[in-house]
Amino acid sequence: MKATTNINFGKNSTSLKKVVILIVLIVIGALLPSLTKDSPFILVLASHALIAGALALSLDILTGSVGLLTFGHAAWFGYGAYATGLMAKSLSSEMTVVLPLTALTALLLATAIGAILVRQIGKTFAILTLALSQIMFAAVFVFSKVTGGEDGLQGIPMPTLLGFAVKESQSWFWVLYAFLLASLMAALYVRNAPMGKSCLAIRENGERSRFIGIKVWRVKLQTYAVSSALAAVTGGLHALYTGSAAPDMLHWTKSGEILMYAVLGGMGTLTGPVFGGIVFTVAEHYVSSWTDAWQIYFGGLFVIMVIVAPGGLFGAFESIKKRFAGNR
Amino acid sequence: MWSSLVVNGLVMGSILLLFSLGLTLIYGVGRVVNFAHGAFYSASAMAGVWLSQKGMPFWAVLIVAPIGIGLLGVATDWLVLSRIRDRPMVDSMLLTFGMALLITGVLYEFGGRNIQNLAIPVSLQGVTSFGGIRLPDYRIFLSLVAILLTAGLLVYLNKSNWGLRVRAANDEPEMAACLGINRETLMHSVVGVSSALAAVSGVIAAPIFGAFATVGDKILILGFMTVIMGGLGSLRGAIASAYLVGLVLVLGEGYFGGQSALMVLFATVMVMLISFPRGIFGDGRTE
Repeated sequence: MKATTNINFGKNSTSLKKVVILIVLIVIGALLPSLTKDSPFILVLASHALIAGALALSLDILTGSVGLLTFGHAAWFGYGAYATGLMAKSLSSEMTVVLPLTALTALLLATAIGAILVRQIGKTFAILTLALSQIMFAAVFVFSKVTGGEDGLQGIPMPTLLGFAVKESQSWFWVLYAFLLASLMAALYVRNAPMGKSCLAIRENGERSRFIGIKVWRVKLQTYAVSSALAAVTGGLHALYTGSAAPDMLHWTKSGEILMYAVLGGMGTLTGPVFGGIVFTVAEHYVSSWTDAWQIYFGGLFVIMVIVAPGGLFGAFESIKKRFAGNR
Repeated sequence: MWSSLVVNGLVMGSILLLFSLGLTLIYGVGRVVNFAHGAFYSASAMAGVWLSQKGMPFWAVLIVAPIGIGLLGVATDWLVLSRIRDRPMVDSMLLTFGMALLITGVLYEFGGRNIQNLAIPVSLQGVTSFGGIRLPDYRIFLSLVAILLTAGLLVYLNKSNWGLRVRAANDEPEMAACLGINRETLMHSVVGVSSALAAVSGVIAAPIFGAFATVGDKILILGFMTVIMGGLGSLRGAIASAYLVGLVLVLGEGYFGGQSALMVLFATVMVMLISFPRGIFGDGRTE
């Protein structure tokens, strides 16, 4: 992970600048649905892009900060989708009930599994997370009476938010946008808090972090649990939004896709992966509309990106900017 | 039931053995966790079907496909993997993942969406029964090939000049480089051998698992489990755990059903990792 340049996000931007950026983002988000009234599909695509952005963010919280590379993030995305879907069907369709419950169960489960996983370093961790996602994938078929198996979980009821039904694509866009913005802000806040600093310390050198008194195992486990819970909530929102959950959401190619968002955006920058997810989803939609061999293009792009621009689009952009500014 | 499951578990273990030896070799020398290994497997299974449709006899396919895929492996190492030798290990995983996606995409274009089957040669279509267990001849042949190839590889690794250099680079890459071992060319050959091994397992398992673009995915996961359980970079660990994984998988399938077997296997690997984090023989790496 070579994202050390972007650690000081908060230091050189004044708080006024931050407030302005935030207001601009909120206004853009609030206005977008009314700007795209005549082409309703854009809003659907935008909502999917927002989900992808949140998913990439949840991966970056883990992989970008503590440096634990996960190849099985889709496990938690899919877990959240199924858990939320099942709870919405049996318990209540109120978002403020179902989603926190999903987050809580994901938190507990991830803590239990993560307690073993985060002891492993680097490669073993990556491979085991991949295995975990395959297990969850298998579990969908084992418990196909509950989960619907190959057909997926269908007929998840229309959710409500604080009693109001959320069904228009505009209100969905606003819900997802608010969710993404809130989690991004929280992630940026934590990044500059002591917790975030210790995460970065662990990423740079786990052994030295232990010497200066950071409880490496605990920080890693907490990060893993939080990242999994965020992915699960994102999965839950996706399930409520589409009204279904499919086993595809747990497949390892989905994990790779999430990883790709983060790499394209620039691992470790928090904002980068969000943009990576959004750009990738939109690009994927348009590419797959004129060719069905999108894997060739994205696989090739991925290979080239890793070789040429390991910092992602953001990193490449930064280095070009620096080159033109002359302060290399 | 029980004894035939055990025998089939050993057959499964033989396929995994061929597959995961390649993974272990490439990890040991290059510190590369090769996610594209499964794609090479699928590619060779499909190449095998294509070659035999062109009228090539099975034994010739079993020789030609690994040579072709092995050369492809050398080419990818030369063109792609060599660019990121000095990068952190994370990059190699991302890169090979992208390669896996790319190869799978290409295979889709060559008809990889349909499941094709490779016919078993006529001379191996019989069924042998011994001690009440009926086992197709082909599976015996497959296991023999796997065991002989593994034994040959081990002998070659222990006796030849190439093997000496591979073992040196495996144990101490920097010291090996200091002693004048050219890591670049060595790595080319290792990736070539590793891909060829994946190709042998792909072709030889094609009559059992079929041939399509994503046939390698499940094998890749199982291969990773094998390699982790045996200890990353440990050859003898991989050999022992290939059979262990094969047995757990087939017995799990027999008693709990297909998909549950994976969960049983995962639980086994987790328990093993808690007690033996460096693999079965304790000589794996934990970096």
